[in-house]
Amino acid sequence: MRWLRRLGHKPLVEKRLDSELHFHIEEQIAEYIARGLSPDDARRRANVEFGGVERFKEECREARWENRLELWLHDVQFALRGLCKNLRFTIAAVLALALGIGASTAIFSVIYNALVAPFPYKDQGRLITMRIRDLDQLGHDDGDFRGLLSYPELRDYMEQNRVFDGFIANCEIDVVYDSGENNTFLAANYVTPGTFELFGVAPLIGRGLEPADYQPGAPPVFVLRYATWINQFGSDPNVVGKTFSLNGVRRTLVGVMPPRFAWGGADLYMPRDPETVNVMRGAYPQYWGAVAHLKPGVSIEEAEAEINVIAARIAPNYREDYPTHFHVSVDSFVHAVVGRGFRRTLFVLFAAVGLLLLIGCANVASLLLARATTRGREFAVRAALGASRARLIRQLLLESLLLALGGAVIGVLFAWAGILVLSSAMPPFTIPSETVIEMNGWVLLFGISLAIVTVVIFGLFPAVQASRVDVQDALRGAGKGLGGTVAKSRLRNAVIVAEVALSLILLFMAGLFMRSFVAIENVPLGWQPDHILIGRVPLPSQRYKTGPQIVSFFDPLIHALKSTPGIEAASPTSTTPPYGGWSGNIEIPGKTHTGEWESLIQLVGEDYFSIVRQPLVSGRSFNEAEVATARKVVVINQTFQRRFLDAGDPLGRTVILDALKKLPDAVTDRSFQIIGVAADAMNMGLERPTEPEAWIPYSVSGSLMRRLIIRTASDPGSMNATVRKAVWSVDPTVAFAEGAPITVGLYIFSYAQPRLGFFLVATFAAIGLLLVTLGVYSVIAYSTSRRTHEIGIRVALGAAPSDVLKMVLKSGLALVVPGIILGILVSFALSRAVVSQLWGVSPYDPFAAVSVVLLILSIGLLACWVPARRATRVSPVTALHYE
Amino acid sequence: MPTDKNELHRGTLDMLILKVVAAGPLHGYAIAQRLQQISKDYFQVPQGSLYPALHRLEEREWLDAEWKDTSTGREAKFYKLTTKGKKQLQAEVLGWERLSDAISLILRTAD
Repeated sequence: MRWLRRLGHKPLVEKRLDSELHFHIEEQIAEYIARGLSPDDARRRANVEFGGVERFKEECREARWENRLELWLHDVQFALRGLCKNLRFTIAAVLALALGIGASTAIFSVIYNALVAPFPYKDQGRLITMRIRDLDQLGHDDGDFRGLLSYPELRDYMEQNRVFDGFIANCEIDVVYDSGENNTFLAANYVTPGTFELFGVAPLIGRGLEPADYQPGAPPVFVLRYATWINQFGSDPNVVGKTFSLNGVRRTLVGVMPPRFAWGGADLYMPRDPETVNVMRGAYPQYWGAVAHLKPGVSIEEAEAEINVIAARIAPNYREDYPTHFHVSVDSFVHAVVGRGFRRTLFVLFAAVGLLLLIGCANVASLLLARATTRGREFAVRAALGASRARLIRQLLLESLLLALGGAVIGVLFAWAGILVLSSAMPPFTIPSETVIEMNGWVLLFGISLAIVTVVIFGLFPAVQASRVDVQDALRGAGKGLGGTVAKSRLRNAVIVAEVALSLILLFMAGLFMRSFVAIENVPLGWQPDHILIGRVPLPSQRYKTGPQIVSFFDPLIHALKSTPGIEAASPTSTTPPYGGWSGNIEIPGKTHTGEWESLIQLVGEDYFSIVRQPLVSGRSFNEAEVATARKVVVINQTFQRRFLDAGDPLGRTVILDALKKLPDAVTDRSFQIIGVAADAMNMGLERPTEPEAWIPYSVSGSLMRRLIIRTASDPGSMNATVRKAVWSVDPTVAFAEGAPITVGLYIFSYAQPRLGFFLVATFAAIGLLLVTLGVYSVIAYSTSRRTHEIGIRVALGAAPSDVLKMVLKSGLALVVPGIILGILVSFALSRAVVSQLWGVSPYDPFAAVSVVLLILSIGLLACWVPARRATRVSPVTALHYE
Repeated sequence: MPTDKNELHRGTLDMLILKVVAAGPLHGYAIAQRLQQISKDYFQVPQGSLYPALHRLEEREWLDAEWKDTSTGREAKFYKLTTKGKKQLQAEVLGWERLSDAISLILRTAD
């Protein structure tokens, strides 16, 4: 590396160059003087004869660089010329690589941003949360009991642990922001001291919450989330420092957080030291979600052990709040927030994309192998002319490197487009709202390493193969008529078989996802979601504690809404379909049973069934008087009747809704008379079977969250503002929260995730299929063209076009059929891994399997048919001349 | 890419330099003198253009350079042929002879 050394001593090099050239000129001058010229003439003549010193200096410098560059340029140029000469090959190879790299980079972006670093918070990997699990119920949601803690519990864990150096909690609180003209619902969080310090995110404007804000008697303040500042406060920087009426308290806005800060998904943050004030919501003391930061050197396992020791010690103090046998699991906050279901979906997608990348590589490898064979002669000639084996390998590798580079560049473009599509298609609530999906340095690095690994995989092998050409054989033209050496064609065939198998696996997976998705979309709801507007109505617990108080709010509201143009009917409800309320114990007088009898209980108004269009199979719904006076009447569903009642007319029988005693305003008389039976409808989401359900008048209790369900004449979203205004005019301290068409909720919670999974896997499968078609086509077309000579002889000897067609198709099927068999076997072995992603379809679904096999078979035949047709048109004369 | 004319010229000049230096280590001025002497002033090129060629040959490791005192006691850069350079010279001479043989053959027999 002499030139490198020279770079470091430039002045010396320059000095030397200068003295070398001047030495020449001075010698020449001396010579001329010796010959008798005057010194002036001698100098002039010497200078003229030498030419421009500076120009030659420059040429000397260039001579050195040029030399290095020339060798490289020559190789690169050679490789580029080779690639351009066979443009179809180059485009196919670059595209195959780019699709694989692009898709895997895009999915890796999502995985990184959603699973590894979803939050903008400091040291997010060492934040943990805890959940209490019931060891006797492990079969049901892994025994999940609760994740929220009551304040006294929270204090016990905070004070007794030695494994955390930060421990904070938040609790949700409904806030009505009264602007004087209208009111707006905002989802707020109370946060405990240390919250802003723990997350370490600098505010965008103003300040975060500080220790003094939590002191008793401190002036009330709050901090805004960025999105709320934009949507509700018109992104006006001057609002900081102003005072706003929140739940009737005037609070000063002290800061706005930057866009990615969205802790707890809240609109705003208010300081609260639970030590000083107990927070109530409805009639319940509020529970807190805790997040702690591990001390340096403490592992999650150590923290979990310590927390369980504390839990065992304190559980007897909170008898109602802990199951008999329990375990507190401590999880990484990041893992806990991104749902396990979605995490699995992402990993399945990543596996799918990995398959796609493999197909892409196999495709490029088979293309390169085919090409290496046709170029056998070229390389033999070059070897005979003295090119070293190393040089040949270097050139082939350079060619592959250029391909990979092209693949990487276009792949990154694909990835960029893919990320744009993915981040807009991402179903809400599957990833935290803090998460931003973007191509970051890591992801880019991943894409580039993939390109390099791919080069090594497919570049080196054909390079070594091609350079091992037997010079003599190749020059004699042997090996050409036979379609390459046997070993090489065997390898090529194996690659195609593998490619067909891989793409079948991918297609089969897509088929399963599609069947599962279609099954979910076609679940009969049992009610009609069109034209329904829903929203929450958080009633301030101080003034709305009892049934009659709640009626005093809803009765005028419902009357006002009903007389509003565009609204057909409205009803209060405790939950909205497809969820049927909370599950509680029931008894039927005179019936004994083992185990607990449970039913969902939903509190509704008289128009509920007509609003959702859920038919009654017998009896009737409530009337207005029964609802207004909280009569103990109940409508049950068919599952309830089948499970708990004997044959015979259920109407008029009595049901004891024991669960109602657990409400804060416990219902003393819990005997309800059955007045109607409703047809079964989905009431546990769309993926679980219908559970027993009982509907009672909403006026029976003053507890529980209340919502409105409204049937509108036109687009339900357009009535949102009207309903907000109506709620405000009944009671300005109440707001209509989260109003949206019920179809939006259905989409978000039920359809969006399967749809995304299906959409992505189907896209990958389609790309995979395209690649396989290309792969099969290129190999058959190639081997058929190699056999032109042979086909010519056959035709000359009297073979009919159909014989030729059959022969070529047979050689194609010899690759496709083993690929299909292999693919189906592997698919069946693998599909159990995706069973958690499926719903309503068996992992061995014969319909999906048969259609996928038929699809691949026909695509394979089509890929063979084109070259086969071409072969039948071969004229024996041309073919025999073909050499 | 340089034009064919330059290429030929450059290649020829390179070969001649190698041939001259093959006799023993020489500095640039001496090489220029020898070239002029042998070719009887056939090459009418600026003498400076010798130097880029020398540097190129040194870069390709066909020539090795060393700073030494001349007989007159001045320091000058002396070039000498390397083993690689020797091989290259042989190859080029061989190629040149073949080419000129072929050309003479054509000139003699084409009539």
